Amino acid sequence: MRTGVTVRHSPDCAIFLNANNFAMGSLLALSEGMRTLGMLLTLLAVVPQATIDQKLAAPEGTTIVAAQVTGFDIDRLSPGLREEIRSLAGTPLKQQRLDELAARIEAERPRHVAAVRTVMEPDGQARVMFVVGRSGESDPDDNVNARYIVEEAELTGVPEAEVSQALRDELQGLVGKRLDSGDADRLQERIENELPNYEVSRRIRRGSERGRIRLLYEARKRELPSWLRFESLRSNALFHSEQGWGTYLDLGIGDRNIRFTPIVAWDYADDLVEEYSGYGLRFETRKLGTRRLGASLEYSWFDTDWRTPTLGALTFKPEVPRPYTSRSTITPLLKFALSPALNVAAGVSISELEPLFPESASRMANAAVASIAFGQRWKDGSHATHNAEASFGVRAGSRQLESDLAYTRYLGQGSYRYDLGRHHVQATGMAGAITGHAPLFERFTLGDSSTLRGWDKYAIAPAGGDRVIYSSIEYRYTGLALFLDVGSVWDENSERKVRVSTGFGFHAGPAFFVVGFPLNTDNLSAIVTMGLRIPGTGIRW
Amino acid sequence: MVTPARHVVVVLLAMLAWPAVRSSAQGLTIDTAGDALKIRAPGFSFLKGEPLARLKDGRTVRVELSGLVLPGPGKSPAAAARRIFALSYDLWEERFAVTTVEARPQSVSHLAQTAVEAWCVDHLTIPLAALGVLGREQQFWIRLEYRFVDSDGVSDQPDPGYTLQALIDVLSRRRKTEASPHALEAGPFRTPARRSSRR
Repeated sequence: MRTGVTVRHSPDCAIFLNANNFAMGSLLALSEGMRTLGMLLTLLAVVPQATIDQKLAAPEGTTIVAAQVTGFDIDRLSPGLREEIRSLAGTPLKQQRLDELAARIEAERPRHVAAVRTVMEPDGQARVMFVVGRSGESDPDDNVNARYIVEEAELTGVPEAEVSQALRDELQGLVGKRLDSGDADRLQERIENELPNYEVSRRIRRGSERGRIRLLYEARKRELPSWLRFESLRSNALFHSEQGWGTYLDLGIGDRNIRFTPIVAWDYADDLVEEYSGYGLRFETRKLGTRRLGASLEYSWFDTDWRTPTLGALTFKPEVPRPYTSRSTITPLLKFALSPALNVAAGVSISELEPLFPESASRMANAAVASIAFGQRWKDGSHATHNAEASFGVRAGSRQLESDLAYTRYLGQGSYRYDLGRHHVQATGMAGAITGHAPLFERFTLGDSSTLRGWDKYAIAPAGGDRVIYSSIEYRYTGLALFLDVGSVWDENSERKVRVSTGFGFHAGPAFFVVGFPLNTDNLSAIVTMGLRIPGTGIRW
Repeated sequence: MVTPARHVVVVLLAMLAWPAVRSSAQGLTIDTAGDALKIRAPGFSFLKGEPLARLKDGRTVRVELSGLVLPGPGKSPAAAARRIFALSYDLWEERFAVTTVEARPQSVSHLAQTAVEAWCVDHLTIPLAALGVLGREQQFWIRLEYRFVDSDGVSDQPDPGYTLQALIDVLSRRRKTEASPHALEAGPFRTPARRSSRR
């Protein structure tokens, strides 16, 4: 049996009780009639009536456009419950499920009652509101210490000047009375609201004599959010039907401000012209005295292999620097945050390239590195999440840095991601150019597991290119993805050909399986990529 | 002669085996009382770590106990019973108190930690009628779970996102029952006739 009540306002203020449209949680289902009615009226006072009075309750099966909690800060619910409420968006309305969630809100917050209200939006979708209000004052206190008298109530960790007189009065108002957990909860909420920069905890201690207790609120200044980000982790193990297997593992180990990242790669060819195997270590700090300033230092050594098409293409491109048998790089960088969303980085990248043919000497590819990056994530009223990122970087190899190769490489990238329940849309784009004689690891490629899926990079531009332009759009519904990729990679003095591909993919946790088809070609053959992507693997101490 | 490497292997194996040893030490039996199936789990402890510290700070901790009847180990439950308990710790008596969170609450106080945990398990009953779905004489397993329902610092929900542990969980072939640290599962049992059935 489902328990529920709907209250409709009419000109004569009659109240109708309807068991189908207004579902209540377990506490309502169990509690006495009169108290329930009183709570209901309290709850309804919380609902923005003017906006929903004229709207009909949504029927079973209607797609939920958004789910929200009113009358209570959703962040005070457990993460699991918050996630379950938010993930209702995009799913069909099931009253029983909503009732269960309301019951869970009440279970987590026993001094509150929760009701579910669903309304039809003009577009035929349903909006779900969990209306939460405080239950009656007559609730028995379930804390055994409620029989003791509070002899002292104290707030510590906050300078006197930051505490209002009203708050102090309220604190003192608890002294001399028996402990009331409800009052103590309310006061804690009040302190948290008045002092948003502090985390407040509460504890009770024995008082000076038996039967008396001390109520202690302890405030601790919240740690300010970091303005600088660590380098993105991108561990993956991939299979590409034309390029074979490759693995790149990076494991972040550290705390909030410092991170060490060991890196290992085996036969990895997904991002560069070369296929490389080797190791590296990156150290990063995102707080050097201030959260605006950070630094990183990365060392890596990779043994390189070259595909036959690449070596073949290079014989026709004498202007491109020769391939190498190994590459070791050290990259110190300083990072500065202009704002939480915008930061800049500068440093040098010193690379030594061991020649493929022993008779040649090793070559240095030393470059000054500078970049600016923007990243912002926000939510809108419909609980959709937006994530926008953009970056522009310059790498300039210079004789002044004792580089044997002089070049300049520019690369701009951007991405936007929209998430609403099970619907996800991602758009990405990039454009880049190289002037001078850049080493092969700097050259652009397209046609791998994440760009121009459906094409093989060793068929498009086996030696890479010094120009690139690319964009992609992908829609995902839970784990099913559809995409369209468009891009071109070419050399400045050669013909530019735009390639298009489309396809679909399945994503389940870290595992993915993608099939891409090249479109503007006579050779319509599918390319399959699959494997595991674990973008945030790490250990925090 | 035992090499240092062998020492390391033995210590590692002992560490890996420890959770299993602990788990098997927590026995679970069933009994009937009237029309209900009662679970007995003398070694089943859920008051530890952060929730216990919170209790010692004079706060109330709410825990939801679930008793699940499974047709086989690790299978979806055929029947379930859930109950929420509000626990607190008397600062002067240094004893625990517990109240069931429901319309007509039942309470008890002045209990030691093991006694209060046993009281909660003892008050989690599964109606015998619910076992009817399994059919007569069919074997079943019992799974006892707990989760803390307060959100102020005792949530047992992990943060979203990948961690090494999450990766191991995803890639491992272990059943969920073995992976969860908040559950105890035992069986097989047989549908009790009327009075008592032991493993």
